[in-house]
Amino acid sequence: MPNIEIDGQAIEVAPGTTIMEAAESMGIYIPFFCYHPKLSVAANCRMCLVDVEKAPKPLPACATPVADGMKIATASRKAKMAQQGVLEFLLINHPLDCPICDQGGECPLQDITMGFANPHSHYTEEKRVVEDKDIGPLIATEMTRCIQCTRCVRFGQEIGGIMELGATGRGEHMAIGTYVAKAVRSELSGNMIDLCPVGALTSKPFRYKARSWELKHTPGLCPHCSTGCNTDVQSLGREVLRVLPRTNEAVNEEWICDKGRYAYTGLQAEDRVTQPLLRVDGEWREVSWAEALEAALSGLEQVIARHGAGRLAGLISAQSSNEELLLFQALLRGLGSPHVDHRLRQQDFRADAAMPTYPALNMALEDLEREPVVLLCHAFPRQQQPLTNHRLRKSVLQGGKVIAIDSLRRDFNYPVTQLVADAGADLALYKSLCSQLSGHAEKADATPLAHVASDLLAADNPLILIGSALLYHPQAAAMIAQIETLAELAGGRVGWLAQEANSAGAWLSGCVPHRLPGGHTAHAAGLPADALWDADMRGFVLLGTEPGMDAIRGAAALAALQKAEFVLSIAQFAGEAKRYADVILPMAAFAEGSGSFVNNEGRLQSFQAAVKTPGEARPAWKILRVLGDGLKLSGFQFNALSEVTAAWQHAIGEYALDVPPFHAFPALESVPQPMSADGLCRLGDWSIYQGDPLVRRATPLAQPAVAKMHPDQAKVLALRGDSVEISSHSGKVSLPLVLDVRIPMGAVWVPMGYSETAALGATCAPCAVTMATPPAAAARA
Amino acid sequence: MLSEKSLAKIARERAKYPANQARSALLAALRITQEEQGYLSDAVMEYVADLLGIPAIQVYEAATFYSMYDLKPVGRHKLCVCGSVSCFLNGSDAVLQHLSERLGVDPGETTADGLFTLQEVECLGACKDAPMLQVGDHYYENLTPESLDALLAKLRGGSDDVR
Repeated sequence: MPNIEIDGQAIEVAPGTTIMEAAESMGIYIPFFCYHPKLSVAANCRMCLVDVEKAPKPLPACATPVADGMKIATASRKAKMAQQGVLEFLLINHPLDCPICDQGGECPLQDITMGFANPHSHYTEEKRVVEDKDIGPLIATEMTRCIQCTRCVRFGQEIGGIMELGATGRGEHMAIGTYVAKAVRSELSGNMIDLCPVGALTSKPFRYKARSWELKHTPGLCPHCSTGCNTDVQSLGREVLRVLPRTNEAVNEEWICDKGRYAYTGLQAEDRVTQPLLRVDGEWREVSWAEALEAALSGLEQVIARHGAGRLAGLISAQSSNEELLLFQALLRGLGSPHVDHRLRQQDFRADAAMPTYPALNMALEDLEREPVVLLCHAFPRQQQPLTNHRLRKSVLQGGKVIAIDSLRRDFNYPVTQLVADAGADLALYKSLCSQLSGHAEKADATPLAHVASDLLAADNPLILIGSALLYHPQAAAMIAQIETLAELAGGRVGWLAQEANSAGAWLSGCVPHRLPGGHTAHAAGLPADALWDADMRGFVLLGTEPGMDAIRGAAALAALQKAEFVLSIAQFAGEAKRYADVILPMAAFAEGSGSFVNNEGRLQSFQAAVKTPGEARPAWKILRVLGDGLKLSGFQFNALSEVTAAWQHAIGEYALDVPPFHAFPALESVPQPMSADGLCRLGDWSIYQGDPLVRRATPLAQPAVAKMHPDQAKVLALRGDSVEISSHSGKVSLPLVLDVRIPMGAVWVPMGYSETAALGATCAPCAVTMATPPAAAARA
Repeated sequence: MLSEKSLAKIARERAKYPANQARSALLAALRITQEEQGYLSDAVMEYVADLLGIPAIQVYEAATFYSMYDLKPVGRHKLCVCGSVSCFLNGSDAVLQHLSERLGVDPGETTADGLFTLQEVECLGACKDAPMLQVGDHYYENLTPESLDALLAKLRGGSDDVR
């Protein structure tokens, strides 16, 4: 092991260590811009030049491996001259517009200039100017400030997995950009802002909102997927101004996805409720909490008195905290209703008894990056859990293999062997894979299926991950049972990719109709979410959810809610609730409340309120407590959140991080697939920025709804033009059509989570696609 | 977008490199593409990116880095005047000036009849015969105003010494 000396201190380091790493480990600071421990070494900023004894010229610390006996000086006259020279060159073309630059105050160039530069410049000529680019609604560019460190370029290539930015031109004309004007699409693009050591890339929604030193930092948790990324919520006064990643190597490393970074912009949506709302003779009135609570309590009591508690149901978002989930189910069950659920996107509940205590990954996120063979079952983590996906990507880059089974070809950002089911025949694909694995199928070695089967058989204990999209399928139960068989045949183990930030917490807290807190079986199981719409429910309690867009059958959900006698919606946003609710109680949204989540690994993490709730909005746990108290239920006497947290811990007890992925399966009757011969199969899922009420309102992330179809299928149907009408038995919608070879023949893909697509109903239902009548022709007719 | 012949040439270049190093064939692929198309349009660069299976931006990076790739349409004959040190000391500025006056365009521009593009380029390695310029595959050396005029006349006369 090489023995070296830096600034007179001796140290022994592993061979291959760079001078930068060695200095870092000794707490010796060497200034740098382009170096980043998670990116490849570029050594192009030259800021980290150090003086190495016997070397004729200063050497870049980031790119120079140590050698035995090396004597390094980071602050000798030679090193200082080199650093001053580099800074003088870097500043030649830098505009020095710090007073109007968003990076000011958190800018490495500013800091290092203050610490290391010679205050005088020899340069008197004109500075170069680089034309600005529009690279989309998330990242603001000011490319004249760029020092060409290429961190953003390397991030796209190495971490983001799609290279969109590059360095075009040469010498003085080199500029970072996309070359042809286009928006950056990577779901991790916002991290380039954090990486940029100058103000060339800054956050567009945050632009000119505040100076960094004015902001209050609060440790937060991202509520938008089950990875549970740690965030740093930055606020000024009562407004959340930006969300940045908080380093946690075990969870999100130092990244977050754009959904987690920009969803906060939805907090300012127009339909945010800040005052209790009461429907009086069909009109909405802002009322006091006393009046609203009075109406809520009497509404609930009346439903129960008239129809019994069995006609009351509660649906809660899985973005709710453990504390809220516990109190919510206690409220419903305390009133005598067994109908409590959070799984609005699911339509097949026949495997409920077989489901695990909670959807657990059954391993640490960090270990995912060392998995040699992973089979994804209807999982597209790039969209659903972007930073879990990043771990899988790392495993593939290190030689791991990822295989995906899905209803359509997915746009992964690493090589994946994909098996795509024929339209609607997803179950059949799992069955044929099983028969390949068991050796019952005919030997057809050349088929992709046979390749996958032999890959799985050759692997030692492959990892099988069940994705949330599998649960949307009408034959989910049978597919889950098939995956159990598959795991046995392949000798693999199974983990679940949980859908939402606190799906795990929702299961553990008993917000499912057949399980109580702690996963104990409920004596009287209630109806699951999707069954409620057809069960003549008379009263609903909703918390943080918009069933019109969150439920698998949005139109049916809206109809049932509108038909109900009494709907209490505890919500952040009133837009949809106003269509069916009787009372809307304003609750705290993201960053306004405290609580805890359980992530996909089973990791219990807590978050703090960063800002005060707007207007009269209150944290949901307080609202539930007051309701429970008002209804004279026991177990609602809490004075502080910490007491609810303690009650949660008491009710759940110790839970395992590694849970059996399945319990015993009940007998599954086979349900014939309701496909008509000439119909198309409607595929669909919640796209990345459409999955919950907050992110749907984040305008910088908004993407319009479009239908997608294979170009050959469009040819078969003689579809021209860009607008089509799609109709199913439950309704019809008009959308622009995009041709996409990833969609299988016999199918049309229509996204969920948009109010304009709710009418179409559930996925995998048959539907027909025709040319939309142009408005002009319709008017003539 | 490209002829069978060019595609075959690119495939031959591609085959020289390992499966995961398609980028290595990029410079050759761009040269072959430019030979056929005259210049590299955004569309054809994207096509080459797809052909090699690399991100389009990597094609743009390479094409903008090397001055031998043309990103705009050029004339039938591209006059590449060396402006590096030996040629500079032997009067390359006067060569450029002379051509500029005769053709009525500035360096970097193309004549209205589409016959000539005038360009200043870096050292072409013919220092002993400075000043020099390149047209197509030929070097013209020890340039004088007279030899330049003769060259222009020859090219105007329909020489196939193109680009």
